[in-house]
Amino acid sequence: MFTYKKHFLSSFLRKLYIAAPLLLLGTAATAQQTGGAPAPSIWDNALALTMLIISLVLLLVIALLANVVLGTAKLHFDKQKKSDSATKIVAVLLLFLAPSLLHAQDAATDAAAAAPSSIGGLTPLTFWVLAGVIAVELLVILVMGLFVKRFLAKEKIAIAAEAGIAAEAKPSGFKVWWDKLNSFKPMEKEADIDLGHNYDGIRELDNRLPPWWLYGFYVTIIIGAIYLWRYHISETAPLSKQEFEIAMKKADEEKAAYLAKSANNVDENTVTILKEPAALDAGKATFVQMCAACHGKAGEGGVGPNLTDDYWIHGGSIKDVFKTIKYGWPEKGMKAWQDDFSPVQIAQIASYIKSLHGTNPPNAKEKQGDLYKEDGAAPAADSTAKKDVVIK
Amino acid sequence: MQTEKFYYDNKIVKYFANATALWGVVGMIVGLWVAIQFYLPASSLDYAGTTFGRLRPIHTNAVIFAFVGNCMFTGIYYSLQRLCKSRMFSDTLSWIHFWGWQSIIVAAALTLFFGFTTGKEYAELEWPIDIMITLIWVVFGVNMFGTIFKRRESHLYVAIWFYIATWITVAMLHIVNSFEMPVSLFKSYSWYAGVQDALVQWWYGHNAVAFFLTTPILGLMYYFLPKAANRPVYSYRLSIIHFWALIFIYIWAGPHHLLYTALPDWAQSLGVVFSVMLIAPSWGGMLNGLFTLRGAWDKVREEPVLKFFVVAVTCYGMSTFEGPMLSLKSVNAIAHFTDWIIGHVHIGGLGWNGFMAFGMLYWLVPKMWGTTLYSKKLATNHFWLGTIGIVIYAIPLYWAGFAQAEMWKTFTESGQLKFQFLETVTNIIPMYITRSVGGTLYLIGAFMMVYNLIKTAKQGTFIANEEAEAAPLAKHESHVKEYWHRWIERKPATLLVFSLIVVAIGGILEIVPTFLIKSNVPTITSVKPYTPLELQGRDIYIREGCYTCHSQMIRPFRDEVARYGEYSKAGEFIYDHPFQWGSKRTGPDLAREGGKYPDSWHYNHMMDPRSMSPGSIMPNYPWLLDNDLDTASTPAKIRAMQKLGVPYAEGFDAKANKDLMTQANGIRISLKMDKIETPANKEIIALIAYLQRLGKDIKAEKKTETAASN
Repeated sequence: MFTYKKHFLSSFLRKLYIAAPLLLLGTAATAQQTGGAPAPSIWDNALALTMLIISLVLLLVIALLANVVLGTAKLHFDKQKKSDSATKIVAVLLLFLAPSLLHAQDAATDAAAAAPSSIGGLTPLTFWVLAGVIAVELLVILVMGLFVKRFLAKEKIAIAAEAGIAAEAKPSGFKVWWDKLNSFKPMEKEADIDLGHNYDGIRELDNRLPPWWLYGFYVTIIIGAIYLWRYHISETAPLSKQEFEIAMKKADEEKAAYLAKSANNVDENTVTILKEPAALDAGKATFVQMCAACHGKAGEGGVGPNLTDDYWIHGGSIKDVFKTIKYGWPEKGMKAWQDDFSPVQIAQIASYIKSLHGTNPPNAKEKQGDLYKEDGAAPAADSTAKKDVVIK
Repeated sequence: MQTEKFYYDNKIVKYFANATALWGVVGMIVGLWVAIQFYLPASSLDYAGTTFGRLRPIHTNAVIFAFVGNCMFTGIYYSLQRLCKSRMFSDTLSWIHFWGWQSIIVAAALTLFFGFTTGKEYAELEWPIDIMITLIWVVFGVNMFGTIFKRRESHLYVAIWFYIATWITVAMLHIVNSFEMPVSLFKSYSWYAGVQDALVQWWYGHNAVAFFLTTPILGLMYYFLPKAANRPVYSYRLSIIHFWALIFIYIWAGPHHLLYTALPDWAQSLGVVFSVMLIAPSWGGMLNGLFTLRGAWDKVREEPVLKFFVVAVTCYGMSTFEGPMLSLKSVNAIAHFTDWIIGHVHIGGLGWNGFMAFGMLYWLVPKMWGTTLYSKKLATNHFWLGTIGIVIYAIPLYWAGFAQAEMWKTFTESGQLKFQFLETVTNIIPMYITRSVGGTLYLIGAFMMVYNLIKTAKQGTFIANEEAEAAPLAKHESHVKEYWHRWIERKPATLLVFSLIVVAIGGILEIVPTFLIKSNVPTITSVKPYTPLELQGRDIYIREGCYTCHSQMIRPFRDEVARYGEYSKAGEFIYDHPFQWGSKRTGPDLAREGGKYPDSWHYNHMMDPRSMSPGSIMPNYPWLLDNDLDTASTPAKIRAMQKLGVPYAEGFDAKANKDLMTQANGIRISLKMDKIETPANKEIIALIAYLQRLGKDIKAEKKTETAASN
């Protein structure tokens, strides 16, 4: 077994753990300064954040894997007494690492310049750069895995040749990596780290903290500090109320754009009675589902007023009915439906309601409101019939 | 040195173990029952005591305080004696503790069943029971510290550090959160109101998870896992670092339950960052557990006890990673108020707490009865059934939560909400059905365990007093250089004080500024105290546990504002003793329910929700239509509110009932207009008054503003 020595690469990587988030912080902060209006930074975008976190985690994996590769490489070359090629290997590894590091910087810079739209709210460029970084990192991990495998295979043969011991005694590549990742002490050396404590037969070992755990802890603390700094000191990230305003503004713009280019733009001033059966059927479907609870399945009234007679509390013209549905009369119990139904749907419901006029359903509610006469139409002549129903 | 002979008290452990199994099964049955109510509303039996709103607190209290509580005491009473090489300090205190705790559980179940509740999640019990809990907790503490002080072991093992931190922190949380103003024997109002009440409550609620469901069970893990695996604990320094980091950071994370609410942003941000920082300390416990099994994985294949421990510790790791993820605002915006959270807590509850308890019982019972487990095979089957049960329980709920949140947030192109609230509920009913299947499997497993343990006990002989020998504690002399932390391990009182300081910091720094700095809760002039009728109605709302399904907190999201109205402001809740923001939206938010529907709609809806919203899964509340409102309590309630600072005029308590009747009569007349005949003195009238008041204050302010600007 070899003893692990600190290598310049690993100390460099260790610095990188700390530098990477700071780098991101810096670029994200610049993003705010470049745009006059609070340009949505990468920190607002869940996808970008997820990808950044993935790339950071992969970077950590690479760093740890690099330790393993270097360790196995060193072991391998020590055995072969060719320390000069060890440096070569290190150089090769650096070559693999360097592009991913550079990419990480690019990604952060590009993300900073990002404007909203496209893939998951990221510009295609940002998205692909981030995806590229992740892909490159995966590639590096793969290659390093191959390195480990190769060294171990050679190692296995070398040992087998040297001592004539069967190769099966050698641990698998995964196990070596796993042991290294967690900084495990070999089982047979456990006695060295036994602290001699004995609590009802329970002993305690003094194993090192798993390095990835420890650095992970540091990373979360750094993330925490950056978070507080961004939201409450530099004030470059939107708090919940600002987030809300941004979302509402965006929604209004989208809605206006949609209404501008379509025939959907009906309102209480332009609405007319729809006569097509399809529209009335659609209106009926909505009515039965949403309105019938209060106004009765046939519009006979219940909690809400009768919609089939000549009397209307808030006016009986199509425009009035449309307006009543759209804005409601909340103090009288009629909800505003404009957030639930589109203008066309409201026109359909209103037209359907108008089509119920004079249908005389059973159990009709007594008249409420004022008599309404359709322009040019004769008043319904069934007022006597209604009186019978009123007294119930 | 001369050794002393003494006896470990196994009898008390046996009693706590029996209670663990009993309350576990009871709590799970109630859980299954409420799960079925999600798709069979008729299973509420149209009876007040068995509706979701009352059974849900019974379920949570039973599984947390009865099942896990007794499990904690079982493990502590067993391990503490052995780790201290001493019998418990006082048998009398042990039995007071046991019977006291069980009577608290029974009292809790009965009072919750009859609707006596404070309306604060996981702290629903009324003030006399709160006092009982405090007293019994002190008894437990004295007994524990008495044992520690008379120990024959120089240093305290890591399990005991966790027990000590648990004891002191639970005491602190319980006392601070339970400040309340009694009105009568079983009715009180929270001392705090609105935003402040919410912050204190979730500081408590979150840390009930931390210090009742996590730290004591970690202590048990540190004892039972190495014992069962016969392996040394992996890393002593990991124990030290993760212990102190865990208890320090956990306390801060409470506000992550209140993201996007009216809680001040700075407090929300602290909740987020401390949750993220909590990943590593939590995982430290998981790693120390799993790595302890290094070299014993072959045993895991054979031994059901270790199987349970491995899955338990893994579930602990999963939920303590998921928790911080859910604390990120972008994830929280989707998951909060949905079933995702229910899935999340059950990974912890069923996986971590349940499986730790099962593993421990399977290990303990053969030990204490001097025999081997009756059937390893049955235990292994229990393990697999339970594991599959957890998966079938959790996955549908993750799906349901995500699907429902997506539906809530979907708009049509023309800018309308695409789905009515009810559609989003009926859409996930298949998930609710599947979830209850998972729960059933888990429950069957628990029954298998009970059978297996009874059989085990029958084939052995109970060792009530286990003989042990140890030398008395000598004065500590150290000749070699020691690890710095060994010093505090010899000083239980110092460890207690340090733990208290460490856990107090986070709470103080979050709670005190929220109370003292006025800008945290900006006042709104149009917000007025509730009228006496509304106040009575609010108490009915609390009594029926409406908050278990309905939130009163509109978050600043486009979809919530479109669906429910303007987002909630901190100043709206200043007279809410207690706050009723809720944590789950099985039904829609009610923060601006006032004026949305006519009085008669509410009347019909409470009688039979499906008459007004076909397909609704809300239970019927027919008794509200029949019960007379208890107006005799009105003056006392007004006086209690006055003492809490609600500005009712001097002497208003005497006039309150007159005011109440006038308002009730108004509602009676409005119902009569819609063909509903009811006397004015029914409970439903008060509830309607409250529901029609909700969110009205800000609407009133809007009107005056428009009037002024015209």
